[in-house]
Amino acid sequence: MAERQGPVTRGFNCANCGAAVELRALQHTRTVVCTSCGAVLDPRDPTLAILQEAAARQRLTPTIPLGTRGTLHGHPYEVVGFQYRTIEVDGDTYGWNEYVLFNPYQGFRYLSEYEGHWNDIRTLQALPALSGSAGRLTATFNDTDYRIFQTATAVTRFVLGEFPWRVRVGDAVDVSDFVAPPNLLSRERTPQEATWALGEYLTGARIWETFSLPGSPPSAGGVFANQPSPFAGKPARYWRTFVVLALALAAVLLGRELTARREEVFTKAYTFEPRRAGETAFVTDPFTIGGSGNLEIGVETNVRNNWIYFDLALINVATGTALNVGKEVSYYSGTDSDGPWTEGSPTTRLLVPRVEAAEYYLRVEPEGTGAPVTYTLRLRRDVVSLLPYGVALVALIIAPVVVTLRAAAFEKARWKESDWAPQGGDDDAGEGGDS
Amino acid sequence: MARVYFWFGLLLLGVTGIADSRGWLGARPTPVRNVPQSIRDNPGAYRSIYQGSPRYFGGK
Repeated sequence: MAERQGPVTRGFNCANCGAAVELRALQHTRTVVCTSCGAVLDPRDPTLAILQEAAARQRLTPTIPLGTRGTLHGHPYEVVGFQYRTIEVDGDTYGWNEYVLFNPYQGFRYLSEYEGHWNDIRTLQALPALSGSAGRLTATFNDTDYRIFQTATAVTRFVLGEFPWRVRVGDAVDVSDFVAPPNLLSRERTPQEATWALGEYLTGARIWETFSLPGSPPSAGGVFANQPSPFAGKPARYWRTFVVLALALAAVLLGRELTARREEVFTKAYTFEPRRAGETAFVTDPFTIGGSGNLEIGVETNVRNNWIYFDLALINVATGTALNVGKEVSYYSGTDSDGPWTEGSPTTRLLVPRVEAAEYYLRVEPEGTGAPVTYTLRLRRDVVSLLPYGVALVALIIAPVVVTLRAAAFEKARWKESDWAPQGGDDDAGEGGDS
Repeated sequence: MARVYFWFGLLLLGVTGIADSRGWLGARPTPVRNVPQSIRDNPGAYRSIYQGSPRYFGGK
């Protein structure tokens, strides 16, 4: 569209209220909105025709005052324009602020602000490539894929200052946002044209620092579309570390398997006759445990379709201190409509930790019913216990699981505001799409 | 934090290996002191805390 060439002014008085209006972007400015009364003016029109009166004199105060200067990407920029735009999604209206920044040598760039989330935006000269199916579009730009996030109609509700296009309250464009945190591609379409812009997420603190704004920035609410995840890449790192540690744990276990003494300190076979009257308890001959550590008490029986319970006391000969343990052995088998079955085991073992080197004997008191049972007690010291390794494995897996869950929760919070909210989210899943 | 996790993991591995080799882990029964010396001659004179605990009379 050819622009009408006319006189360019550096400043003028608003035709609506008479206030002085200063032009900062000079000949680049297509529209200027009076900072005093909000009237939208065309600075190229010799008569300074009023293009539009601000709707109902509504006023908004920009977070960054017009005329504020700051350095972005190594170049000084001045805030020359401000607009407030809204979209309507499922009956709810969402609004955000946009700032026009100008540098005479670098041109225009923009800032957007939504609930404490900021984006540094520049328009693109190259066209991103669109791909995808069933409305789930992907835009590719500079070898980066951007996933469609939301499509809506953005309406300009309030304008202030200077703009490089003809802006007026009520302007409506179809906006499609594609995200690849921390970047965002935005396509604005009118029946006449489509404009692409690339945004980069900035924190409020960065904006405050850049423009030397007083006070501190308001805290950001929720998760913004292209807000970088604090967990980005962390789950993969944690899981890789977990695999390394799990392999190292396996190596430690293997080392223990190879070095454990498994020293047999006592073995003897006995027969228990449940039906025989009298005391069933007895003590074994003394035996020596040559080193401190764990002690495995293995019990091998010929029990079948029966049970036998062992009440055991490991008694230190010298001190008379007893460690009491108990274990049941039961084994049942048979055949039913499902075929053969078994339950339990005729053998068992139990591990007594932290047994000191000394001379011991066992007090054994078997209990049971039915037929006589033959059993063997086999005691070995310094055997491998899988329990600590299992505990360590569980302890190791906690961190990657937690990080993965938190990363997933962050992404869920991000996408629940999109047209593609996950199932069960606040928004209807998959009802959106590119228009 | 991943680095902290790594070092924590290594520490855990070391503790696990040492704990297993020294028999530290697992529920150790509470030692009962002053078991009568006569137990060797009369084993029935001593009853452990497990005496009379529930039994499973199982089978499918």
